[in-house]
Amino acid sequence: MLPFLVRTAWKKLWTLFFISIISFGIIHLAPGQPSQIDPLNPRFTPQQLERYRQAFGLDQPLYVQYARFYQQFFTGELRSFKDNQPVFGKIVERTRNSLPLFILGTILIWCYAFPLGIATAVRRNTLFDRSTTVLVFALISIPGFYLAYLAIIFVVQTFQVDVIGLRTFGREGIGPWYAMMDRTWHLVLPSLMGAAAGIAVLSRYVRSQRLAVISADYVRTARSKGLDEDRVLYRHALRNGLLPFVTMLGLLIPGLIGGSVIFETIFAWPGIGRLGYEAILARDYPVVISINFIAAVLTLIGTLVSDLLYMLVDPRIRL
Amino acid sequence: MAVERVEGRRRLRGESPSRIAWRVFLRNRVAAAGMVTVAVFFGVALSGLMLTKGDRPILDPREVRLPDKLQPPLSTPNREALPPELRPRLGVYLFGTDELGRDVFARMLEGSFVSLAVGFVAVGIAVAIGLVLGGVAGYYGRVPIGIGRFRPMTVDTLITGLIDVMLSFPSFFLILTVVAILRPSIWNIMIVIGLTSWEGTARFVRAEILSLREQEFVQAAAALGAPGPRVVLRHLIPNSVAPVMVSATLGIAGAILTESGLSFLGFGVPPPDATWGNILADGKRYLFDAPWLTFIPGTAILILVLAFNLFGEGLREAFNPRLRQG
Repeated sequence: MLPFLVRTAWKKLWTLFFISIISFGIIHLAPGQPSQIDPLNPRFTPQQLERYRQAFGLDQPLYVQYARFYQQFFTGELRSFKDNQPVFGKIVERTRNSLPLFILGTILIWCYAFPLGIATAVRRNTLFDRSTTVLVFALISIPGFYLAYLAIIFVVQTFQVDVIGLRTFGREGIGPWYAMMDRTWHLVLPSLMGAAAGIAVLSRYVRSQRLAVISADYVRTARSKGLDEDRVLYRHALRNGLLPFVTMLGLLIPGLIGGSVIFETIFAWPGIGRLGYEAILARDYPVVISINFIAAVLTLIGTLVSDLLYMLVDPRIRL
Repeated sequence: MAVERVEGRRRLRGESPSRIAWRVFLRNRVAAAGMVTVAVFFGVALSGLMLTKGDRPILDPREVRLPDKLQPPLSTPNREALPPELRPRLGVYLFGTDELGRDVFARMLEGSFVSLAVGFVAVGIAVAIGLVLGGVAGYYGRVPIGIGRFRPMTVDTLITGLIDVMLSFPSFFLILTVVAILRPSIWNIMIVIGLTSWEGTARFVRAEILSLREQEFVQAAAALGAPGPRVVLRHLIPNSVAPVMVSATLGIAGAILTESGLSFLGFGVPPPDATWGNILADGKRYLFDAPWLTFIPGTAILILVLAFNLFGEGLREAFNPRLRQG
């Protein structure tokens, strides 16, 4: 048990090191310099450029910049190029806005993907299975923003509600009940859009996992004992079938953050994805590097947690 | 059971595993329809290339006709305002016109080739990297690397570590960052998508080779004195081609979607090259005035990507005996 933990932690530390190098390094791929935000601006004189480069340490060699960047990152002193605000505060604030989307999105993914995957596996090769398969693949295949536009047009024209932004603009003091309804309308559509592809992908995994389990000996034994079908499917088969999905917990994180760039831009949702997009447009490199780095570290933690969970759930893994 | 037995007998008569897989694939009508659709789109893309390229193309996707801007599909050109050489070859605007009066049908034809090319080149790069890294990790995985006596890791830990690192990043955001920094161009987009989507192929190839290298025919080849690269290239890689095909087919679908997402955020293939992604992204400003600028490319992308996905999924089921119908 302990050697396994040490080995895993050691491996994750190496991974973390390479993640930090890649997050930092991609910014310096470009032939241009971060200080050349707007080379055509006549007020941006060479003297100013030099002052700017010195102020942000851009005249130092790369490894010095790298060390300085992560020193500032971990001490919380990192400041944005754009408005000189602490990067950490910005990211925390925007993540708090995104959190409802991520949580609701994850809940939607897990609540829809499992019943859908199980139902299609049980009724394999029926019309239901075939049509659901095509539908699920259509969800994977549609460009996310196109789907979002279709959904916005549909909801706005059918229910006459506003869905863009955190809440309807200029509707302060409408009472807690209406405010809550308003928040819910604004929350549901972006989370559903963010979850759509996840539901589709996960339900396919559940389906094929299920097909492998359904013909297993212990399921046949459970059936031959005379247990009713629901008990066989949801108690005996589900428990063992759950195992592979424990490992998918951590790998959901990058998809959610990557997808949030598009959906938060469409729904004008001031979350982490939109912050990243705004930072890319403004060439605000400290923010861009930090978001890439934090997202990768979160994924790393997620995979570590799912490794540990896997070990707890499956006694065979205890090496 | 009966099918199993029939298959077993055919196998004895010498039907190769890939023939069996092919037969299983064709029995899956949804997947076969996907393959046919992909083939049709190939034809469209090739004819699009021939019809819209050159100095005097038959259908000019770049011809600006301001009097005829934002015409709905199947509308006829404005005969008084347009000189005869500017009138569309087909007599009508089959898919309407955009905000500059360009013929959307011609632009879609041009974009079909560019979109497919983006998908193919990106996936080609990804598959090449995945094959090399996966093959090396699978076959030479136990070779230690390091300096002198200090050997902290093996080739396998290095490559699987690299895969873990790449899987940790939110790939769409990473692609967006790199494309934005390098300036979007059609080549940059292909290369960046390729460089960030090889992990799946590498993992499949590694797993496949790890199981193949223990089999007798590989050991026999090694015993006959075949050098390592020959064993990998002639015996291992050809036998692990099926999972690579599957992930390549699904990868093309993903690359086309990624390109359209980048276009939506303003970092896609820049004009004047038309792709379905940037036609769709440009259409969003006229969503209510000219909905065909959104619906036509959106639906086209949906159908093409869906066809690739169903085709790939059919291949996966056909080549994986465990998923095959009993």
